[in-house]
Formats: sequence, C-alpha cells, structure tokens
Amino acid sequence: MNWVRYTLPAAAVVSAASPAYAVRYLSIEEAQKEAFPSATQFSEVQAGRVWKAEAGGKAVGFFVFDRVVGKHLFIDYAVALTPAGAVHKVEILEYRESYGGDIRSPSWLAQFVGKTAGSALKINGDIRNIAGATLSSTHVTEGVKRILAAYGNRLR
Amino acid sequence: MLGTFVEIEVAGAPRSEMDGAIDAAFDAVAQVHRLMSFHEPDSDVGRLNREAGTRPVSVHAWTFRVLETAVELHRCSGGRFDITLAPALQAIGLLPSLKDASAPILCSPDAIELLPDQAVRFRSTDVTIDLGGIAKGFAVDRAVAVLRDLGIPSGMVNAGGDLRAFGAQTHTVHIRDPRHPSRSVCRIEVTDAALASTARRVDLVDGGEPGSSAVIDPATQRPVILIDGVTVRARSCMVADALTKIVMISGTDADELLESYQADALLIFPDGGVQITSDWHHAVHLAA
Repeated sequence: MNWVRYTLPAAAVVSAASPAYAVRYLSIEEAQKEAFPSATQFSEVQAGRVWKAEAGGKAVGFFVFDRVVGKHLFIDYAVALTPAGAVHKVEILEYRESYGGDIRSPSWLAQFVGKTAGSALKINGDIRNIAGATLSSTHVTEGVKRILAAYGNRLR
Repeated sequence: MLGTFVEIEVAGAPRSEMDGAIDAAFDAVAQVHRLMSFHEPDSDVGRLNREAGTRPVSVHAWTFRVLETAVELHRCSGGRFDITLAPALQAIGLLPSLKDASAPILCSPDAIELLPDQAVRFRSTDVTIDLGGIAKGFAVDRAVAVLRDLGIPSGMVNAGGDLRAFGAQTHTVHIRDPRHPSRSVCRIEVTDAALASTARRVDLVDGGEPGSSAVIDPATQRPVILIDGVTVRARSCMVADALTKIVMISGTDADELLESYQADALLIFPDGGVQITSDWHHAVHLAA
C-alpha cells in the first residue's frame, strides 16, 4: 500500500486564519441579547455551546450555538429555543463564503420559528430552498433539525 | 447516546416502514451503549472491571464480539490498540477513577482471556478496560444491520463522525481541519463503506484543552502528538473506529495493517501535509 502526498495549499491555510470573505454579523453575546432582549442572565449549560436565558430568576429560553459546513467553509449560527423546546429564533453569526449569504434573509430564517423536534424540517417541504444557496440552506436546516432533536425535549 | 449525537438517514422505502426501522436501529445503538458504557456500573464493561479480575464473567454476545476484535487488533498492531489503557485515561482526567487510583498501569497482550460460552476473565484485578475506542463504531454497524434486516435499501448512520453508508447511494462527508476547526479540509465520497475520524483537538462540543487527544500511545502512556488528524475508511465501522487510534500512533507505518483490513486512511500532519493511501485518493477532494 502506497501513500499519496499532498500539501494543503498555503493560500488555503492563510485564508483559514482570515477567510477573505468572512463576515461576522454577531458575537455570541450580541446574538444572545438579540434573541432574548428581556433576559438578565445567561448561564452556560454546556460550555461554549448551550446557555440558559433567565429573566428575574425565571427561564425565558435556551440559546444553542452551532456550526455547519456551507459549501467549503463553516457557518456559525445559533438557535434560540423557547422554554418548551420550540424554535424562538435562528440567527447567523458568522458567514465565511462569498456566495450563498442569502440565508441571512429574515424571511428565510423566520420559517424556523415555532418548529419543534416533531417538525419535518425538509428543504423544499416546510422550509424553502434558496436558489444559489442550496448547500448553505440545506445544511443550516439539517443543523436546526439536529439541535431540536438533541435539545428540544431535554433542556426543560 | 455514546456521549454523542447519533443520526440516522434512510431512503427508498415507504415512510411507515422507515419510521419503524429507524426506531429499531436507535434501540440497537441504545443497547450497545447500555452494554459497553464505562460509566454505568451495570453495563458488561462495568461488571468486567469490577469482577473479571477475580472470576470469569459472562457477557452479552455483542460485548464478546467487540472484545474479540479488540484482542485481535491488539495482536496485529503490536500492542498499539489497547483497551486496557483506561488507567492512563483516568490519569489525565478523561475517564473517572473507579478503583484504587494508585493501581499500576498494566498493559499486556494477554490481560484479557476470552473463554468458552462468552465468558471473560482478566489476568489480574488491576486490569481496567474501556471500549471507548471501538464501541461507537460497533454501534453504527449494529444500527446498519437492523436497517438492512428490515428491508431498508439505503441510508447512513452517523454517531458523532463515526459513520457508515449502505446501499447504492453515494454520500459526501466533510472532514474538519483539526488545525482550523472552522474549515473543512476535504470532502470524501462514501458508498457502502464506513468512515471514522479522530483528531488531536477536542472540538466545539467537548471543550477541554485544545491540542490534547484521547488517543494514548501505550509505549509512552501519554496522548499522541505526531499527527493532527486521521480518517479511516473500512468495511465495518468498528474496524474503522479502532484503526483511527492505531494510525494516530503509527502514522504511515500502519499501511500493512490497513491493507490487511482492506482499509484506507487519510492523515493530516501539523505542517499542513496530507497523506492518503493510494487506492483512495480519487474519492477524496481536498478543499482548494
């Protein structure tokens, strides 16, 4: 058995450190505030991934940070869940590719609101595809579905 | 389950059949977890660690099968695959301590005796096993077997990156760059095969020290540092899962072992070099 050698192009490594098109829309803290404006406290439930949002000592929801691949690069996004485990809001935090950024459209993201672990969440089913952003929209949809499956019934 | 998310995706059968098959596949994964969890005192692994040092313990056929593979891989890898390294993992805090923490770390090829009638005995009370390096792959294999038995023509089972595709459909899998977790290093096309990956970083979900690894070199009892990441393709996910640990330690020297298991590997080195076994490189598309 032989090995074939490659060297990852230096350009790729450089752009990994600072992708040419990376747009950071929101930090985690900003996204949390935007998702739960009334919350007075966010406490980590799972380090760097899940936070519980509280207002006056009462849980107002949960905030889950996640990453999916767009076409080649990762998309950082967050799913805010109601205390009952339904989607309250989906936010795109960082988008690194030069195309497919249309998934930030508020009307597209609004389709997720109210979805639960029992929803179909199928592209071209209950979630619209976006021409020119097929992979990004599919992967974000799969990500939201995965988060609902993992946390939708567990965080209460 | 198994400390990760398990995803099952199926196609090509009526909806009603697929739902039942997916439930049955998840049940199989849950059963593997129940049998082989290091953390559950009533699992086969928990019972073995408590009692097999003093008397033979009978285990479930699945546990026995995983132990047989583990012992065989230990032999073929010159001891590099070793399920008795639990104490070393406990020493660096990756596993909770159960027994006397000062017990000597004992790794010997015949630490585990496999007896007739699915009974197992350990050579000494100091032996502690952990199937963390192989059970997840086995669970994926069991889930695939259930789906196939129930007539599902194609699909994929993914347990936190240890995955297996079955049927004619080709699935594309992205491999995360261990050095730049926000990048995918390449995409790999998988058809009717298993893929498992391991890396020298603790990812997003686990927290912990970046740059550390849960792969321990038996020779040094310390986490490996030679290679940043390994992905292995094999026919069964159990073998792919276990081989990633061996390749992490042996690097390109694992070629004969890979060949004997009809497996392929992709290695990512700290300097950005990538090496892929020659029969496989056509299925791997490096990110430009």
